[in-house]
Amino acid sequence: MYGFEALTFNIHGGYLEAIVRGYRSGLLTAADYNNLCQCETLDDIKMHLTATEYGPYLQNEPSPLHTTTIVEKCTLKLVDEYKHMLCQATEPLSTFLEYITYGHMIDNVVLIVTGTLHERDVQELLEKCHPLGMFDSIATLAVAQNMRELYRLVLVDTPLAPYFSECITSEDLDDMNIEIMRNTLYKAYLEDFYQFCQKLGGATAEIMSDLLAFEADRRAVNITINSIGTELTRDDRKKLYSNFGLLYPYGHEELAVCEDIDQVRGVMEKYPPYQPIFAKLSYGESQMLDKAFYEEEVKRLCLAFEQQFHYAVFFAYMRLKEQEIRNLMWISECVAQNQKSRVHDSVVFIF
Amino acid sequence: MEEENRELNPENGSGFTKQHQEEEEDHKVVKFLDSADSYLDLFDSLSSTLRQGWLELATARQSMGASRINRALFDLKYHNAATSLQVIQDDVKQPNFTLCKWVSTNNQNCSTEEAKFDEDELFEKNSTNAQLRYRGTSEIQEKSPESIGSKLTVVDQIQKERSKSLSMFGTLVSPKLRCAQISFETALDTLIEMANMRSSLLSAYDQVHKDMASTKG
Repeated sequence: MYGFEALTFNIHGGYLEAIVRGYRSGLLTAADYNNLCQCETLDDIKMHLTATEYGPYLQNEPSPLHTTTIVEKCTLKLVDEYKHMLCQATEPLSTFLEYITYGHMIDNVVLIVTGTLHERDVQELLEKCHPLGMFDSIATLAVAQNMRELYRLVLVDTPLAPYFSECITSEDLDDMNIEIMRNTLYKAYLEDFYQFCQKLGGATAEIMSDLLAFEADRRAVNITINSIGTELTRDDRKKLYSNFGLLYPYGHEELAVCEDIDQVRGVMEKYPPYQPIFAKLSYGESQMLDKAFYEEEVKRLCLAFEQQFHYAVFFAYMRLKEQEIRNLMWISECVAQNQKSRVHDSVVFIF
Repeated sequence: MEEENRELNPENGSGFTKQHQEEEEDHKVVKFLDSADSYLDLFDSLSSTLRQGWLELATARQSMGASRINRALFDLKYHNAATSLQVIQDDVKQPNFTLCKWVSTNNQNCSTEEAKFDEDELFEKNSTNAQLRYRGTSEIQEKSPESIGSKLTVVDQIQKERSKSLSMFGTLVSPKLRCAQISFETALDTLIEMANMRSSLLSAYDQVHKDMASTKG
């Protein structure tokens, strides 16, 4: 019952909430980012990161460094922290933590299937998979020729099985089918996660509803913008939008018929929470939209830490850490390409 | 003084020939220097276009995620090249390079060389029209509605071919990835211009060198 978590939450969740709040204090600060943005080489970045909590993961990496190496090692830290929390968690927190990784699982499935379609080596594809989204039979995905086989041979025993009911066909897998499969799976996953959080109730349901609704709305906007000028029909586009969120259902009706970025802006500006995001963009421009959305997301994730005795702090920490890794990837790319003047284009400060 | 008068006298054939020869030599040197200058300009332009392309690719990766943009997704299946290069060597010393962009990869029956050559001709014409567009847009705009309609069809075809090339990263890709594709395409055009300019530069250099050798001789 909402309001009484303080009495019972710490019995099962107190230790892990303390752990995740400790992890949160290890996130890079604005001072760290300012130092990193002034680095001249990737070795300088490594040197600065060695003085942070990423130290043990990067200090033994030989030069010359590559941007993907920095990202891999930082991701390993996130994976270790997640596994520590998962192995200590009891129900329903353990299920909640598992839900956080299903998005990566979907990405990995699509990566393997797409790579196999392009006749890539399975081992090479497995190396590119996100470690949080790995499962035992993932390599068997390379054998499937269509979605029915994909489901029957591999995914029926994975947590993604319930999400496949809407996209099982016997059509051979091609680029368009795979894209629709990706977005349909993610839609089903978000809706399922949303329902799960509603069942948990209390502060978890309240905070996670807001965070997941924002995620659903952002996905709707990205699907709309990315499908402009493609063969995706309006009906197919609308089917990929989630069935919850601030934009559901009237915003989705309007987004489904948008043909350019200015029409998308016209739709989104009717919703007060999204007006400040689109106010930062000039007309016809969508380059800074991602950064604007990331900034808004970070703001909402940081607010999750203002309350106690709920599970949303775990979700918020994982997302903030992923944003931090994205920041490090961008800074590394700008340094490697000698484009330091552009480094602030995509860095989103946390806290 | 008399010799100078003899040289300046227009009725003196050898004097006129020498002046004409000097003018021609100067013209060749100027042509060589112009080619060198244009080549260096193109080099700078290529460098900045490539920088822009790589940054846009990194931006697309930031937007779509590292799992959606990585080299493990490159298509290793056999397929026709989307773009091909023709080398025309009418003059042995100055070959000419032409880019045939966005040859259709959709035509599975296109197995004979003749059919492929027909497609190349169509798209070479389209690419030539594209070059004309860069040099004289106003000419195109003054043309009849039929030519504007066919131009739109060509643009649609090119857009389709571009989307097909990007489909290895998925069908719903970020506009930033499309911008990166345009940048690399522009860089490829610049490379071909550089190749042609270099060919012209080397030819001009040969001529100047020959003239200098004959002058010394």
